Amino acid sequence: MSAYYRNNGYEEDPDYPDYSESWNRSWGHLKTQDYTDSPDTLKNSGYPIPRSNPYSADYRTSLDYPKSLAEPDYPGSQNNPEESGTRSNPFFAGSRSSDYPTSLAEPDYVGSWSKPSHSGSSREPGYSESQRNSDFGGSRSSGNYAGSRTNPDYLDYLGEPDYPGAQGNTNHPGSRANSNHPGSRRNPEHAGSGIIPYVDVLGEPDYPGAENQPNSPNFFWEPDYPRAENSPNFWGKPDYPVTEDGRDYGSSETSEITREVLSRTSSFRPSLRHRGDGSLGIVGRENEDYPENIAMKSMNMASVPGASGNGYVNPAYVGESSPHPVYGNPPLSGCEWHKSPEGQKLIASLIPMTSRDRIKAIRNQPRTMEEKRNLRKMVDKEKSKHSHRMFELNCCAQCLSSISRAYRRSKNSLSELLDYISLWQKTLKVIGSKFGTSVLSYFNFLRWLLKFNIFSFIVTFSFIIIPQFTVAEKNTLQFTGLELLTGAGYFRDTVMYYGFYTNSTIRHGNGRASYNMQLAYIFTIGACLIICFFSLLFSMARYFRNNFINPHIYSRGIAKLIFCWDFTVTNETAVKLRQKNLSTEIRENLSEILQENVKLTLNQQLIRLSAHLAAWFVSTGVAVACCVAVYYLAENNSEFLKNHKDPGAVLLLPFIVSCINLAVPRLYSLFRLVERYEMPRHEVYTLLIRNIFLKISIIGILCYYWLNIVAQAGEECWETLIGQEIYRLLLMDFVFSLADSFLGEFLRRLIGMQFITSLGLQEFDIARNVLELIYAQTLVWIGTFFCPLLPFIQMITLFIMFYVKNISLMMNFQPPSKAWRASQMMTFFIFLLFFPSFTGVLCTLAITIWRLKPSADCGPFRGLPFFIHSIYGWIDSLSKRPSYLWVVWIYQNLIGSVHFFFILTLIVLIITYLYWQITEGRKIMIRLLHEQIINEGKDKMFLIEKLTKLQDMEKRANTSSFTQERRDVEQPGALYVKEHDAAFDLRFRRSVQEENPKA
Amino acid sequence: MGNKQTVFTHEQLEAYQDCTFFTRKEIMRLFYRYQDLAPQLVPLDYTSCPDVKVPYELISSMPELKDNPFRQRIAQVFSEDGDGHMTLDNFLDMFSVMSEMAPRDLKAYYAFKIYDFNNDGYICAWDLEQTVTKLTRGELSAEEVSLVCEKVLDEADGDHDGRLSLEDFQNMILRAPDFLSTFHIRI
Repeated sequence: MSAYYRNNGYEEDPDYPDYSESWNRSWGHLKTQDYTDSPDTLKNSGYPIPRSNPYSADYRTSLDYPKSLAEPDYPGSQNNPEESGTRSNPFFAGSRSSDYPTSLAEPDYVGSWSKPSHSGSSREPGYSESQRNSDFGGSRSSGNYAGSRTNPDYLDYLGEPDYPGAQGNTNHPGSRANSNHPGSRRNPEHAGSGIIPYVDVLGEPDYPGAENQPNSPNFFWEPDYPRAENSPNFWGKPDYPVTEDGRDYGSSETSEITREVLSRTSSFRPSLRHRGDGSLGIVGRENEDYPENIAMKSMNMASVPGASGNGYVNPAYVGESSPHPVYGNPPLSGCEWHKSPEGQKLIASLIPMTSRDRIKAIRNQPRTMEEKRNLRKMVDKEKSKHSHRMFELNCCAQCLSSISRAYRRSKNSLSELLDYISLWQKTLKVIGSKFGTSVLSYFNFLRWLLKFNIFSFIVTFSFIIIPQFTVAEKNTLQFTGLELLTGAGYFRDTVMYYGFYTNSTIRHGNGRASYNMQLAYIFTIGACLIICFFSLLFSMARYFRNNFINPHIYSRGIAKLIFCWDFTVTNETAVKLRQKNLSTEIRENLSEILQENVKLTLNQQLIRLSAHLAAWFVSTGVAVACCVAVYYLAENNSEFLKNHKDPGAVLLLPFIVSCINLAVPRLYSLFRLVERYEMPRHEVYTLLIRNIFLKISIIGILCYYWLNIVAQAGEECWETLIGQEIYRLLLMDFVFSLADSFLGEFLRRLIGMQFITSLGLQEFDIARNVLELIYAQTLVWIGTFFCPLLPFIQMITLFIMFYVKNISLMMNFQPPSKAWRASQMMTFFIFLLFFPSFTGVLCTLAITIWRLKPSADCGPFRGLPFFIHSIYGWIDSLSKRPSYLWVVWIYQNLIGSVHFFFILTLIVLIITYLYWQITEGRKIMIRLLHEQIINEGKDKMFLIEKLTKLQDMEKRANTSSFTQERRDVEQPGALYVKEHDAAFDLRFRRSVQEENPKA
Repeated sequence: MGNKQTVFTHEQLEAYQDCTFFTRKEIMRLFYRYQDLAPQLVPLDYTSCPDVKVPYELISSMPELKDNPFRQRIAQVFSEDGDGHMTLDNFLDMFSVMSEMAPRDLKAYYAFKIYDFNNDGYICAWDLEQTVTKLTRGELSAEEVSLVCEKVLDEADGDHDGRLSLEDFQNMILRAPDFLSTFHIRI
């Protein structure tokens, strides 16, 4: 029988090279049918199950993650390595990775086949025979219609003269095993090719591992059939050679396959050990050979955002989500699960991982605690066995692992500590429970800013303020109390302001340690800004990555409304309100969808357009008018102050500015009555843009005033004056927010509740509040240079603001009625904080440092022509010392060099362009994959239909009508299936006919 | 600290730490929350792994779940036998998945199970109807509900088989960045 197979394959050999996936697939299909239909062996008992369950979830799981295409860890594939499967893997993997359009179809056989076999095995654990059988089935299928593949392959090898040594090796399982051990062949390939996973092999004629392949015919088929024919104790021995075989094949292919195979092979190990065969050594070694595989796999996964841990998760999901209840896995109880093939595989894949990855993988398993715990125990056990064996070799590794364990422990305790510190957990929970995630995001933003300021404060405090304290002179000014508001007077001669800092080098005692205050000042501020820059950049990038993961975000997704119920909301009334709001929103959404195509008339469009234009015109005009007013006020203010000696007069400017900030945004929000945006989101964004324009331009005009008028006026210690102004602005803003919360919002509630009840409670305006925070933060950043203690003040104000806003929120507001895209808005806010705000600050400070003359008799930079000259001077002094020449070199050639920055910019531009192109390509790919999913869905439906038909027929069928049935089923086949059908049909029919009589 | 030792052994705690997204302190806090639900039922000594289940009625009375429209489904999905009665392990599992640290896929997997009312591995129109009714407390009319279901299937059903598979669901969740922050129960 087997001989016939071989010959047969040989005949078909010409076909072999163009094994395309469609081919494979159809073939696999056919083949499997063959098996089921052929009444000959006990195999049958194993097959029908798989057959009936082929389009299970696995398939789709794998499809859905684009990356999983390249990812080899296929759940059901476990058994593969032992048998034919490996041989077939190459195809499988190859087809999967290399050509999308068609190849995607394949994976489904895999899971589907193997799974039933698992289920079978788990059902009858005692019946070793059946287990074998089912394993066999699994392997076949998991390798992608294994049956189909295996057979012809053998045939090829047998008959093909291209593979020298085919005959030579045949009988030496041992030799093969040897070649396996080192793993050297495999690993390098692996490492190399892992990077380019797409380079695959379909139809590649020269299998590097071909030397081994010739072996297969002998081992493969002989032990195979007997086994199938029900000889349970046959298993152990004859199988091992086969296992080795399988592995060899795998290794000869490119990385994916290798990985796949390996994971399978290794995954099988525990079960082998179970059986207590003598193969432990080999298998164990094997496993150790491939830590990279797994590592690489995990790296792969890690590199795909939002998909971390998928690889491990997949198999598990697969296991559970079998959609066919009829064939579905019987629910394995916790203690059994890890014994199932999937469990075994998982365990095996976990072993070579680092402990951190392993824990992560275990945590990400969608399993019950008991299963996870068992899994962990098993893995630890295996691991310890390993390490025991490896002890002599790898005491270094042990050392490493113990270090990593210690590191993990310390990290745990650190996170516990941080958890302890982390502020306001309870309050945030209450807010979330009443107002949902969107309002919560404001408070999170506030907390984030607070952390930012704490950090800035710590830096400035430790590097500028403490050293200054040590040389501080006695403050002779009187403290009256008004200074708290004006920031002048007593505070002028404290560490709060620039002017108080010394320009000398601080020395204590007779030690050589010295501290140059000038450099410390400029470097600390610089470092602070740079760190802020990067942390902003990174958090912005993280938000972007998480929230704009998909390029096409549908604007009105009803599905999102339904499935994104806010589980944080736990307050009863809030839940009810939310449910009500949700139903209105759904209704609105529906009506919107239904009346989508209602077009406005030209007249209406014109009216709307002119309304928008007018609104923009008015809002810009108001902003400009405010700026002009602030500018003139500021200009006249200095003269006004000269005449009025009242210390409170300085508060006029900040008062006016705060008034503008309070009133104008409310005016802007009135515009919506005129504008009538269709989408509430548009309204929010317009409002945000107008507000940010207003605030930033006011700050900009103030900066202009400070840098161009105050700094040039030749006043004594102008830096301190600017610092004071900023302090006052900040404080006034804070006072206004407090007053607004306590009075404005409270009054609004009274009005809404008592007098005009139709108004009701107001909703918390997240956008306006966030913008206030951004405004204050901008001031703080500008002011840090002139008033190093500003982060500390901002820290306090934020701290108070949190409580005030919290109380006001609880008392005066109701939850937002619209589903608010909190995370996207947050991304936008952080972007705003970065773009006009922080970059503006950088510009201002750059102008200050490079263009302005520091005041002559105060501050650390007194006497210098420009601030930056402190750096120049430092470099000059360094260049006199030979041991620091490298610093000078770096400065001259990198930091101070125009050419360097020119080249750097060019490189960055090129990289950006390349990345942009890559993203474009990915977009196309995503679109294609999406289309493909749809096609697959259609395919699947079609095939399921066929299968059920086939099943029905099979029940009635007898052997003689077999051929006819097949034709029936195949007739309406998909196009590409059809193409190859004829050839296969022929072949299989022949082979089956050959088989049948024998049976 | 001393108290901790009597409740769990060191190994138990470590195992819990490795299997959930919680720190030791959070695990202890959750344990006390669990214990508080049924003080006479749950022993204060878990070193011998007692087989204790807190009935669903008590679980659903937790303030975190009390008003959640899906509380029953959550309890069913996470309980061992699907009846909503929870062991400590189930309890920890539940909050681990609902915690901030849990990755999107894990959350999506369990969210899918929660929305899959009839446990058939797919979210079909019937499941959707249940979901919508629970979400809106029956405020929508039958036609509106069926229209919504239709629209949802229209939007999210990638392979057009008339129901949402886990993959469809995950794909959709990927497009809803808020899911990560909303599928979250603070403890």
